[in-house]
Amino acid sequence: MLRNGLRLLLVENHTTPTVSVNLTVLAGSCDDAEDLAGTAMMASRLLEEGTQSRSALEIADAIESVGGAIGTDCSFDRFSVCLGVLTKDIDLGLGLVGDLIRNPAFSTDSIGNERDRTLAEIQSAMDRPQVVAGWEFNELVYGRHPLHRPVHGYAETIAGLRREHLTAFHGKYAAPDNAVLAVTGDFSVDEMKDRLESVFGSWEPGSRVPNRPRLRPERTAGVRSRFVGQDSQQAHVYLGHLGIERAHPDFYTLQVMDAILGGSAGLTARIPRRLRDEQGLAYTTFASITSSAGHDPGKFLAYIGTSPENVDSAIDGFISEIEEVRSAPVSAQELADAKAYLTGSFVFAFETNAQIARFLINAELFGLGFDYPDKYPTYIGSVTADAVLEAAASHLSTEDYVLVVAGPESTVSGRIHPVD
Amino acid sequence: MSIPHSSVLDTRDIRRTRLDNGLWVLTRELHNSPTVTSMIWYRVGSRNEEPGGTGRSHFLEHMLFKGTRKYGKGEIDLLTMKNGGTNNAFTSFDFTAYYFSFASDRWEAALEIEADRMTHTIFDAVEFDAERKVVIEELKAGLDQPWGVLMQELNRTAFERHPYRNPVIGWLEDLRAATPEDMERYYRQHYCPGSAALVLVGDFDTEAALRKVEAEFGGIPAGSPPEPRYAKEGAQERERRFDLEWRSAIPRIAIAWHAPRVGHPDSYPLQVLAAILADGKASRLYQRLVERDRAATFVSAEYGEALDDTLFYIRAEGRATRPPEVIEAGIHEEVQVIAGRGVSEHELERARHQIEAHFVFSMERSLDQAMLIGQIQTLATLDYIDDYLRRVSQVDSDQVRDACGRYLTATNRTVGWLLGSPAAAEREA
Repeated sequence: MLRNGLRLLLVENHTTPTVSVNLTVLAGSCDDAEDLAGTAMMASRLLEEGTQSRSALEIADAIESVGGAIGTDCSFDRFSVCLGVLTKDIDLGLGLVGDLIRNPAFSTDSIGNERDRTLAEIQSAMDRPQVVAGWEFNELVYGRHPLHRPVHGYAETIAGLRREHLTAFHGKYAAPDNAVLAVTGDFSVDEMKDRLESVFGSWEPGSRVPNRPRLRPERTAGVRSRFVGQDSQQAHVYLGHLGIERAHPDFYTLQVMDAILGGSAGLTARIPRRLRDEQGLAYTTFASITSSAGHDPGKFLAYIGTSPENVDSAIDGFISEIEEVRSAPVSAQELADAKAYLTGSFVFAFETNAQIARFLINAELFGLGFDYPDKYPTYIGSVTADAVLEAAASHLSTEDYVLVVAGPESTVSGRIHPVD
Repeated sequence: MSIPHSSVLDTRDIRRTRLDNGLWVLTRELHNSPTVTSMIWYRVGSRNEEPGGTGRSHFLEHMLFKGTRKYGKGEIDLLTMKNGGTNNAFTSFDFTAYYFSFASDRWEAALEIEADRMTHTIFDAVEFDAERKVVIEELKAGLDQPWGVLMQELNRTAFERHPYRNPVIGWLEDLRAATPEDMERYYRQHYCPGSAALVLVGDFDTEAALRKVEAEFGGIPAGSPPEPRYAKEGAQERERRFDLEWRSAIPRIAIAWHAPRVGHPDSYPLQVLAAILADGKASRLYQRLVERDRAATFVSAEYGEALDDTLFYIRAEGRATRPPEVIEAGIHEEVQVIAGRGVSEHELERARHQIEAHFVFSMERSLDQAMLIGQIQTLATLDYIDDYLRRVSQVDSDQVRDACGRYLTATNRTVGWLLGSPAAAEREA
């Protein structure tokens, strides 16, 4: 950690002559004001669009001329500046990351273009019924909790974003004591520490960032459904409800459940095997509760894209599978296979520098420990069929859930009742 | 924590072996991670399909998971799951490829599976019908994507006769008419060692691996896959255009020009041209369309490497607030500028570095290496990689100007618009 509070996570990897940098700031769309939804995302994207000393074109040309890449990313609870660069260009790359995060220009001109682009991108996303269904699903699951909003905000809120909102966001959150910096790749740790000290050492810490009050979203009672008409070939079904946080003690048990029920190698899990491989209802279908688990509760989601006439069969299929995993223990074989899959495939999450950097950030933010790769097999290995049954019964529901279907008006489903 | 270095771009450490039955085996040891990717590439794709039989290669790819002599339906995925691995497959115009990634202490299961399903896939009528439904869902999912709709129509219009005009997923009518007997016949013709390349990248011992490959594949007869018979595409003599009205508030454009096949001397300046036109924010079209004219949110340029004469694409996604004509005019103007004046030394340097770096970054995963090696072996030969960077680095402004001027002409292009409908625009208001 630097004196200004910036946490450093460094891992050497000499497989390729490249370096990956991930600077993550602990603020995201959940920190937006409701009527200014989209602030975090726009502020993070604008970091690339000019600093006090470099224009957007100069930034792009500098990094692209060496075949590197720099970009920003924003999600619910964080935003990041990410860099990929050849070893020989690490000083250039680090200098750019430092400049982008510390000295953004937020010029009126670039804000205008960015606003325009974001509005167009939202319109583009609305062309995809599975995206629109996903937004509706989040609205119904989360109610007034900030996770109800898409990260990019809404057309109305984006139209109202002004320079002062963006500079205020940046000023409040972009500080070294509110950030984590992961660097992985072809370097020596001691030399890299010196480089990072020289680039980030003088970055002023912020005033103490107050903890965002943690609203607890509540699971809604009963079945709440909505139909979104869209002139598409397929209907898209989202069925589910509030899920769990990453820190929940049942996380690993539920990962095993997810591998048996909703998604594993190929089509082995129950939902894709039965709905796709056996019934031919879909090309894409899956279910998961753990993949969205974060600081705030994620969601349990079962999804299918299918022909409109199959919607009721698909919903029946989901309900039947959820009910089965809630009421009968999984077989010893299923349990063993799921554990073998989770522990065996774990290694594939750590092949690239960027993947390793992301893991380091998550290990830090969720307190997983840097020996997590060694401990993980034990966590998974200790899960029993009884534990899976208990966790499924406790966390999954076939009575209190949200159902969203997006598709052509000809989609007929007895399951959809308009939300009051 | 520290992982040892290994050489990156050198293909000299790729061992090339050919079995007596014609199967190419390309192996590269990589010991940074205890994993092995095993990939098999068949030189068969939509290019090989006859009229009435489109989609057959891709549907066949699905059937290779539905039951073989040794592995019942679902067992291949189950084996992958138990072994903690991943698997997948894909079909393109020129090839069909399958891969497994496993931990290095159990990777040989992949060879057993691939050898078995190369010749012992079962075409059960009931499974065939069930899988047809899945493929049709996949087709529908593709047509629900605006770019899926636009690119399908673009390829169909740019090519009048060559099979590249057909979507890899096939036309719906052909999928409905497909029979397991036709598919089995196609499979027996095209799935054989003589049309395949096996690529192994990862943490294994080469000698032991080659012995295992010989044991699994050595006894399979060579086979003699037929060369595709199709009508030659004549020269395009005038611009082709179409507009599609679609349920969107924003316009999308895709333009295609006929371009030479992979390895042709002109393919190198065209690769460099694509990078200068649209790779990154400093590129010509990004600066023109996204920054200056503020007419687009996204633009790309691509030379599509293929076995036969191919297409050079430029695509852009617009904004509801700007007339589509501004985008098209901007693209044509920027192309004209390069055709007239060439490009700067700085842009050439940048393009070279972008192309080189792309190779370097793709070396991080055994899967990405296996993809690159397999694709090149199928489309050309491995020497192509060795030559590629050297030839790209020799491209100069005159060559780019010349290639742009000869290929990206008005008569050689097909322009397709996917336009928003007034109804969709109203919906957004």
